[in-house]
Amino acid sequence: MTPLDSSGALWNPREHNRNNCEWKLTVMATSAVARETVFALRRQIAKIEGTLPERLEVPAGAAPVDADVTPQDLTIVRRGLAVAPPDAFLRTGAEGLDTALSGGLPKAALSEIHGAATRDAGAVAGFTLSLVSLILKQWPRLPVLWIGTAEVFREAGFPYARGLHALFGIEPERLLFSEAPRLLDALWTAEEAARMTVLAAVILEIRGSPQRLDLTATRRLHTRAQSAGRPVFLLRQAGEPEPTAAPVRLVLSAAPSAPRETIAGPLAGSIGRPAFTVSIGKSRTALPGQFTLEWNPDERSFEERRAGQERAKNPVPVVSAPRRGKDPAAAAGAVLAFAAVGSPALGDQPSPSERATHRRPRRAG
Amino acid sequence: MVISHRQANAQRIAALDERAEALHLKRGMGIADARAMHPSIDIVEADPEADRRLLESLADWCDRYTPLVAIDATDGLFLDVTGCTHLFGGERSMLDDILSRFFHQGFDVRAGLAATPGAAWAAARFASDCIVPGGEEEALLAPLPLAALRIEPEIRASLESVGLRTAGAVMAAPRAPLARRFGVSLLLRLDQALGRLDEAVSPRLPVAPLSVERHLAEPIMLTDEIERLVKMLATTLKADLERRGEGARRLALLLFRVDGAVSRIAVGTSRPLREPLLIQKLFHERLAALEQDIDAGYGFDLVRLSVLSAAAFDMQQADLAGETRDDGADIALFADRIRARLGESAVLKPVAVDSHLPERAVAMLPFAEAPQRISPPKKPGKIQDTSSKPVFRPERPIRLFRSPEPIEVPATEMPEGPPMNFRWRRALYRVARAEGPERIAPEWWREAPGQEDAPTRDYFRIEDSDGRRYWLYRQGLYGASQAAPRWFMHGVFA
Repeated sequence: MTPLDSSGALWNPREHNRNNCEWKLTVMATSAVARETVFALRRQIAKIEGTLPERLEVPAGAAPVDADVTPQDLTIVRRGLAVAPPDAFLRTGAEGLDTALSGGLPKAALSEIHGAATRDAGAVAGFTLSLVSLILKQWPRLPVLWIGTAEVFREAGFPYARGLHALFGIEPERLLFSEAPRLLDALWTAEEAARMTVLAAVILEIRGSPQRLDLTATRRLHTRAQSAGRPVFLLRQAGEPEPTAAPVRLVLSAAPSAPRETIAGPLAGSIGRPAFTVSIGKSRTALPGQFTLEWNPDERSFEERRAGQERAKNPVPVVSAPRRGKDPAAAAGAVLAFAAVGSPALGDQPSPSERATHRRPRRAG
Repeated sequence: MVISHRQANAQRIAALDERAEALHLKRGMGIADARAMHPSIDIVEADPEADRRLLESLADWCDRYTPLVAIDATDGLFLDVTGCTHLFGGERSMLDDILSRFFHQGFDVRAGLAATPGAAWAAARFASDCIVPGGEEEALLAPLPLAALRIEPEIRASLESVGLRTAGAVMAAPRAPLARRFGVSLLLRLDQALGRLDEAVSPRLPVAPLSVERHLAEPIMLTDEIERLVKMLATTLKADLERRGEGARRLALLLFRVDGAVSRIAVGTSRPLREPLLIQKLFHERLAALEQDIDAGYGFDLVRLSVLSAAAFDMQQADLAGETRDDGADIALFADRIRARLGESAVLKPVAVDSHLPERAVAMLPFAEAPQRISPPKKPGKIQDTSSKPVFRPERPIRLFRSPEPIEVPATEMPEGPPMNFRWRRALYRVARAEGPERIAPEWWREAPGQEDAPTRDYFRIEDSDGRRYWLYRQGLYGASQAAPRWFMHGVFA
């Protein structure tokens, strides 16, 4: 982790209302001594446990350091090693990824989502939209703004509202697109949009590694996202990992999908639900890791796919279940996820209502 | 200095300046003759287009006196100053102001002010810089030649041939024989000039229902100052809009430069708007986008804010900062600001269209034109809808290329089957799995009669060896025609 990666000093008082800022500073001053003690203790515990102080869980029922401090203040003070409130994170629902990111993706922040090449645009956009779909569960009535440069929409394809509705449940009415001829215009639009609280999420998509998108530009986006409390996703197609103000960077690529499930077992040669390989490119708290997630369009949730893992949650008895082993869920607490190698999990058997026979695709050849 | 133009295959003098006139050159004289008389004259080819543009810019500038400005033929402007003169201290001082400002801009202008357009026209051309009091049109016109009546040259010539050489003589003649012999148009012009018939001056621009302006003693140049002024004007405008119970849908800002150039800046809003701060914000974006195009020069001495179109205003406008009750208003304002800066189609909204052609099934409309959602989302109904629809719900990609990109397919599994590998953007992809085909026929009912049918498309979902999923199609069928079918990449899946 480079020093630039740390987002420790990113809170910019100028972005905030001056009165507000002074008030917060007073609060911090009165309780500074008490907090210092707590931080020192946390550091000690973290050292003993061999982890980072941020990854420590808040003890259940623990009162905040100061009774006067609202959770909002705490989020800001978090930069000084306090612990964020649990609802500050967007839980993906994939345990391995959530644990690695110590709770999920930060909700009020800029998050970078990279694709190695433009041809990965489908996976990058798909993963981001599934996150948006999760966010929309919280704010179902707010629209989502997708900003892109003309170049990226030409090279990677324009988002197709029909597909988005079918796969992620995002209605066309909830979508707004902005196509900017130049990167500068796209950045300006994104900055304006990032401070809107009436948007559920802002997606900014660019291609390559332009100079304009430097630490300053991303910091402006990040600060605005923080104060608005809404996520900004920075999608970068074919971009190099560069120092940015985003606390988290995920690198996406497509994963082979599992075959479609039918009542008679997996249909060989068919293409099932979308699957993504997510690797953590940068995070303050997480160790680098790689996860394979599968998006369930019907439930609008992620499922994590692990090597050789079979899920036991499916109560439907399966006719032939030679591969079904013991229930791994009991021991799952300590299992660390690794890249899915070898054959994908074939044991998934959703209920017939979930995956009816009439949805079986016609196979060619 | 002489302006020449081509008329009936000969270069003739179209216009000439005072010094050329002093040399006894005349309009309509052949250029060759004029050269023979005075070899040193300076001859310039006429450019009617440029003249027209100049006249239009002058008309724009004259907007400062009245919103009703009309262009008269190639060399005149009508200004309907009814009700405007008191703003400039009376008719005389207004006329003087017009003349002196045009003089400082380098124009030699004749002006006349009268109660009817016809009389004003005559006064400007034949009795320079005079104001004709109402009712004295007859006295003005009587001694003037027939040309002052705005009649066609043929009628004028025939009137002169019977000895009627002044407008007064025509007025004195009995009307019935005049109408019989010279047509109705003569009497029409006469009546219009004398105010017996109304003549409407049709303005070049629609008149704004509301506008406020400010004359500045000291010209302003800085964008900040313009914006501050916009806010002041908008505050004045707000009271007017409130009285009418309306909000502005289109606003125009007119900046009159000291030297006569006029900049017209328009912004549109998705919802009726009257809040001065929000209006200022919209113009802030517009001015920022136009920074290079607006040349302040020596500054602007008149700024006018007009409401071009207004609509009934029935909801509370909320502050941009902080939570508001009406989320839609904030979105609309945000979209307006983006549009003001980046153009009309900067914010697009998808609208589902009933079509099975993938590229037609979603229309992207500019935000202001897209239908606003009226009914709240009805989730349970949606689910029932989909269940009652055909059981086969086709899979659609999440990204679609605007124009399908041709790909090379060296071999397919079977003649009608999916490709085994393909080359797209110079890279080779190996197909691991495929689903399909889904056949989409062209919409023949949209094609013009006689037009050849577009070939059908067979779509395949493809997963390549790395797990990326694509949407390909084959256009046409093998063996159906001489040409081999072509393959295209149309979209990508998640």
